[in-house]
Amino acid sequence: MEKWPVARIVEIMLQDKYSSKLKELPEPARQLVGLVVVTIVVILSFAIFNIFFGHDKDLTAKMKREEEKIAEKRKLSDLLSNLPTGILVTYDGTNGFKLSDELYEKVCNATKLITQRTIMGANLINLKAYQIYTGNGNQVKETFVKWDNENKKCVAGYVLKGTIEGKEETITVSGDALSFFSTGIDTRVYFIKNF
Amino acid sequence: MKKYIILVTLNFLFTYQTIAAVTGCQEGNCDNGFGKWVYTDKTIYEGEWVGTKKHGQGTETWPNGYIYKGEFENSFWSGQGVLIFPDGSTYNGEWANGFMNGKGTFTWADGKEKTGIWKNGQLQE
Repeated sequence: MEKWPVARIVEIMLQDKYSSKLKELPEPARQLVGLVVVTIVVILSFAIFNIFFGHDKDLTAKMKREEEKIAEKRKLSDLLSNLPTGILVTYDGTNGFKLSDELYEKVCNATKLITQRTIMGANLINLKAYQIYTGNGNQVKETFVKWDNENKKCVAGYVLKGTIEGKEETITVSGDALSFFSTGIDTRVYFIKNF
Repeated sequence: MKKYIILVTLNFLFTYQTIAAVTGCQEGNCDNGFGKWVYTDKTIYEGEWVGTKKHGQGTETWPNGYIYKGEFENSFWSGQGVLIFPDGSTYNGEWANGFMNGKGTFTWADGKEKTGIWKNGQLQE
């Protein structure tokens, strides 16, 4: 019994049968066969590499995040191109651009920033928030803007951290975001109704 | 490199001049008297000044739509005054240290009203 029967078979096939047949083929056909073989080799190589290196969870997550960021940017850009710059409102009686219900939700989802005057306005009826904000040099620990799908409104707020009379305090102020400011590059919350 | 430095300096000076031209005291006397001051964030105060502080009668308009008309004391909203919120809600009454303090009426944009004694922005029920 031969030691390597499979290798031997392949050798025979290539040398005696197929190699001679291949030589008989016209030049263009041979080139085509070569191209197909090279393509298969390349695909197989990548498939093999993918088995060993292609399952990097971090890389996949990173790529997904990047794709989401790009999609978000594109969405924001599309939205801003349909909006006038300046004040956008959800109520009547001002000179600001009145947002439709659909645009209100879109603007809410696209907004990340809250202006300083918005925070100062909301602090007008919250002494503790005012004290922390002025005491810590107008620092805001965290801001949030999210769409409340159940009540069909935009909720915005901020978290303040600071010291009042020697005691460390953290407070969250939130309310309905009823107006925004469109700079042409982004949108910002302009009025939080917290009363 | 020299060109770059000159360009940056000129740009800085031009920006500074432009900002200075549209902010600060725009009309009248903003030290002692009646004057109009425009802040960098486009907040406008027009009213009486005493010792470079807002003091007496005046109107402060914030860029996001808050308008306070009334008395000021050491730059704080203090005394009788009306605050109009961006959505049209109003508080008409007494103020102290920038907060609703004393007797006043809060009227929501939908017409609902609450009158009473306020302490640091909260109605004392």
